Amino acid sequence: MKKRILSIAAILLLIFSLCSCETKEKALKPTEKFFVNDFANVIDEADENDIYSRAVALQETTTAQVVVVTVEDLNGQEPSVFATNLANEWQLGTDEKDNGILILLASEDREIFIAVGRGLEGALPDSKTGRIIDRYGIEYLRADDFSTGLTSITKAIINETYIEYGLSAEEGYIPINQLPQTDNSSYGGKVAASWGAMIVCLIVFFLIFGKRGGMMLLLLGGRGGYHGGFGGGFGSGKGGGFGGFSGGGGSFGGGGAGRGF
Amino acid sequence: MKKKNLILIAVIAVVIVLTISLIGSYNGLVDKSESVVEKQSEISVQLQRRADLIPNFVESIKGYTNYEQETLTAVTEARAALAKTNNPQEQADASAQLDGAINVWANAITEAYPELKANEQYIGLQDELAGTENRISHARTQYNEVAKKYNSEIKKFPRSLIAGLFGFEPFEYFLPSTGAEKVPQVNFE
Repeated sequence: MKKRILSIAAILLLIFSLCSCETKEKALKPTEKFFVNDFANVIDEADENDIYSRAVALQETTTAQVVVVTVEDLNGQEPSVFATNLANEWQLGTDEKDNGILILLASEDREIFIAVGRGLEGALPDSKTGRIIDRYGIEYLRADDFSTGLTSITKAIINETYIEYGLSAEEGYIPINQLPQTDNSSYGGKVAASWGAMIVCLIVFFLIFGKRGGMMLLLLGGRGGYHGGFGGGFGSGKGGGFGGFSGGGGSFGGGGAGRGF
Repeated sequence: MKKKNLILIAVIAVVIVLTISLIGSYNGLVDKSESVVEKQSEISVQLQRRADLIPNFVESIKGYTNYEQETLTAVTEARAALAKTNNPQEQADASAQLDGAINVWANAITEAYPELKANEQYIGLQDELAGTENRISHARTQYNEVAKKYNSEIKKFPRSLIAGLFGFEPFEYFLPSTGAEKVPQVNFE
């Protein structure tokens, strides 16, 4: 009798665990902390609190949401796809400004990807986002110090966001574009040349495409506003039971940069 | 007499209800097809963004390496071909061609000049190109999603009648174009 009950219990447990596994794969839900979701359990408590309080402060002053997520693996997905879909699902940032950022780390796949909301693509173009990873975090990540690496990257992202909003960065932070170049061989000349090429290319583009091309370019320039309304209105309901924070309807178009390490 | 009146009123009521629902369905279809078109233009915007980034990329490498010009021919040609396209599928194919060409070229160069891989500007441009790639695939996925909604809408009864009446055509899905499976994840190794 006892054995039977035990085996039934075991089967039930198995079924339950299978179920919960499946739902977890289907939809990753934000934790109570919302800004720090350490599903892979790689961030120290001190760092977690540090990131959390900085992210809360950022949201309170600018409405921008910087959210850190760690997972063990990406279920075989591309890091950019995983991060962009998750960020869209959680609707980070506000509906109007699309000012969310998702920092995703997969500890076993050894990938990091920073997804940048449409409204912040100007402040954090992909090249700059990639450079932030290279400058502030990649060394730590390579050395398996995920906690320090993520904290350092998150701090940099938060500070760059403050700067974008015309606020001063936290004390002691040097903006990434003021850091010296690591490789400065005839850098200026090349920048000038590439700007020249860019301008020529724009002119040609206008000539070829005329009015339609102009419209395309305008779309390119104003994308944040153009797509702002996406999927709004879902986020507001779920905030209640959690720590009081939730996504505000922001959308992501695939922008950002990532690295394997 | 009274009975006739009643029937008339009933008929008018039915006609009004039908008209309203017809207008509603029609407008709904217009909205849906507009959102598909919007996604389509998002894809074009991103393809153009990439085409614009490429000369930048090429310039930065050329200055660094004095690499022979001839190898660039394929890139230049592919770019010119992209500018001439005028429908989404052609555009996608041409864009995939351009990807292939730029990738071959970049690989050849980084093989000849391995130190380039540590150059921040080069890495930055690679990030921009990879980011554009991500935006394109995201926009394509979204396009397919809205196109699917719209397509199933115009095939379902009773909207299929309205769609037939007003000539709503289904949108084609975006399928990976020939050679697109080779599309260049930018290499850092």
